[in-house]
Amino acid sequence: MSSNTQPTLWKTEHTVPGRPVFGAQHPPLSSKLLNKKPIAMNTIISKKKDQEKFHEYAINTDDAWEIDDRVMTLKMLDNDSKNGHDNDYPTQLLGISKQTVDEVASRVIQEHKSKSQSNKLTIDASAVRRPVLASHTSSTTCPGIGRRIGDYPNIKPLVPIRYANNDDHNNNNNNNNNNNHSNSSLTKIIKTNSRPNLITKLDIDIQKENKFKPIFEQTNIDLNELRKASWNGIPKQYRAQAWKLLCGYLPPKIERREDTLTRKRDEYWSYVSQYYHTRTESEHQDTFRQIHIDIPRMNPLMPIFQQIVVQELFERILFIWAIRHPASGYVQGINDLVTPFFVVFLSEFIENDVEIENFDISSLPEANRKIIEADSYWATSHLLEGIQDNYTFAQPGIQYKVRTLEELVKRIDEPLYRHLKNQHIEFLQFAFRWMNNLLMRELPVRCTIRLWDTYLSEQNGFSQFHLYICASFLVRFSKDLLREKDFQGILLLLQNLPTHSWTSNDISILTAEAYQLKVMFANAPRHLTS
Amino acid sequence: MTREDEYDYLFKVVLIGDSGVGKSNLLSRFTRNEFNLESKSTIGVEFATRSIQVDKKTIKAQIWDTAGQERYRAITSAYYRGAVGALLVYDISKHNTYENVERWLKELRDHADSNIVISLVGNKSDLRHLRSVPSDEAKSFSEKNGVSFIETSALDSTNVEQAFHTILTEIYRIVSQRQIQDHIGPISPNPPIHLPPTDPDFKSRQNPTCCS
Repeated sequence: MSSNTQPTLWKTEHTVPGRPVFGAQHPPLSSKLLNKKPIAMNTIISKKKDQEKFHEYAINTDDAWEIDDRVMTLKMLDNDSKNGHDNDYPTQLLGISKQTVDEVASRVIQEHKSKSQSNKLTIDASAVRRPVLASHTSSTTCPGIGRRIGDYPNIKPLVPIRYANNDDHNNNNNNNNNNNHSNSSLTKIIKTNSRPNLITKLDIDIQKENKFKPIFEQTNIDLNELRKASWNGIPKQYRAQAWKLLCGYLPPKIERREDTLTRKRDEYWSYVSQYYHTRTESEHQDTFRQIHIDIPRMNPLMPIFQQIVVQELFERILFIWAIRHPASGYVQGINDLVTPFFVVFLSEFIENDVEIENFDISSLPEANRKIIEADSYWATSHLLEGIQDNYTFAQPGIQYKVRTLEELVKRIDEPLYRHLKNQHIEFLQFAFRWMNNLLMRELPVRCTIRLWDTYLSEQNGFSQFHLYICASFLVRFSKDLLREKDFQGILLLLQNLPTHSWTSNDISILTAEAYQLKVMFANAPRHLTS
Repeated sequence: MTREDEYDYLFKVVLIGDSGVGKSNLLSRFTRNEFNLESKSTIGVEFATRSIQVDKKTIKAQIWDTAGQERYRAITSAYYRGAVGALLVYDISKHNTYENVERWLKELRDHADSNIVISLVGNKSDLRHLRSVPSDEAKSFSEKNGVSFIETSALDSTNVEQAFHTILTEIYRIVSQRQIQDHIGPISPNPPIHLPPTDPDFKSRQNPTCCS
């Protein structure tokens, strides 16, 4: 991101102890090279540059943004024009000007409009939904085949059979209804458009799929391209493969894949036969006891996790990992981190993964279960590699991250920071869990999975980008927290933040905000201090 | 979420003990009258409050539920600061959780205030057929160590109220007596949070809050 000729700026007087964590991808320069004046200039230049880049990025990846993101942005703009002085907030937040948003929005709308007109289509929601429902009974279309909007009259399934999700459609209708209350001129354009959001949403899903299709058709997958595309969320039918690639588990070269996977899966199972029986030995029995206590209570509300076969699968993965990583061993919370991998890798084998929560895993051939288990093990290992200091003695990684988060929040939302401090809230009291479980206790699993699309696409997603996500996440509830006037009220809210109805769109917003923070802090740590 | 803003005393109490002994369920039973057979493991600390009446005084208990796994102790011990009471919980059906009680006592001695009021709690008393820790044994152990003892069941609610009431009342007695001795008037209801100073000459003036 920073060019070689342009010095990257680093705050020299850290109030946060430790290294400049924000810039792992932006090699910090010696402070000797810097003096006051260039700092100011470079800050402006790099800031501008980053904004341009973000702008460019937003345009390039425009089709990957879900419609609701835009609607959300429009709503924010709308609210702010009503609220007066808060006016700068969303544009500042997203790093794009209102004008840009306007342009992009109307361009997309125009595009869609012209397409639908050229096809002389009058599609309403029910007309669209019918083929989707019908597609459940049809099994002729392969998953992953994208459809352009103009194809509607000829082609039955709008979304791949296995991934039709009626809930999403309902949500979308609700969003649509909500938007009707808005007065924004932009939302009015959307409203007056003959095509409802539903179709636009599907269109965007399809565009997303179209983006992934060519990537996966390559015999040697371009990981950078995959990362770029995955950052904004991966379509379900590509997710398992994409995650394995992004973990460095699945080789990008098609001819190497089968051999590598076979070897890795065999390797895992050889660990199991070699070590798993030692769980009852005195050396390891405490580890196993802890795992055995934690597994049944992992996801108490999801029936699939009550199945013994699933619980044993998790126990093996965790025990093998723990004894192969004695520096940390098993720490409560690591069990949660296996869940997204398990769910995503399992979904590859399920006809309609909407019902994954109730899926009877014993109906799956043993060979497939073994594949899911081995793949989950390796993916989890990859994830933990980057954050192992979260779990070693005294959990230094977490302590450091919590302090850094505190510093970040102090800079980006001073009133909130002061409020928390005035009420004697310690960040460790709530953010420990955010770091230890990567926000999995604060978010529904579907949101975690979407969030991990981004984490896996980032260079140090789980260790560093997560910090910016945590900061955005906290600030998201700033108003609610400021409303709570005492220690009890604040802490109880922080322990139970209202995210149960969150969708992947909320995560998309969160990632966009976190990206903005990352850009600001990576190149201009002083940016918010003066 | 109901919050009682008026109280005469605010006491910080910690729940400690091995993983899986039922600390979180004791807390949810006492503060919300809820029980979950499979509640998620506690990560770090969790927090809840409830107020009770003792001698016509309102005592607000601020209860901190800690994670049981050993790895967390380096961090959770920070939460002992300012605690005036500790419920040390074990599972009557799992003898090893009782064996570890000594280690937990040491943990408190090392990290908590020396005047902290401790109560030993044998939870899961409903699991009669699985009992592996005799009541008498735990009782004599507690006497030897100068702590109170009670058996509870968060599942069927047995003695849960009692356990919290006992420890809070005991703290209240100590605090109100000390106040008389120190000629300090009753603490005014409302902020800052008042925790009875265990060392009135030093801590009270330096740090009048409990949640540091």
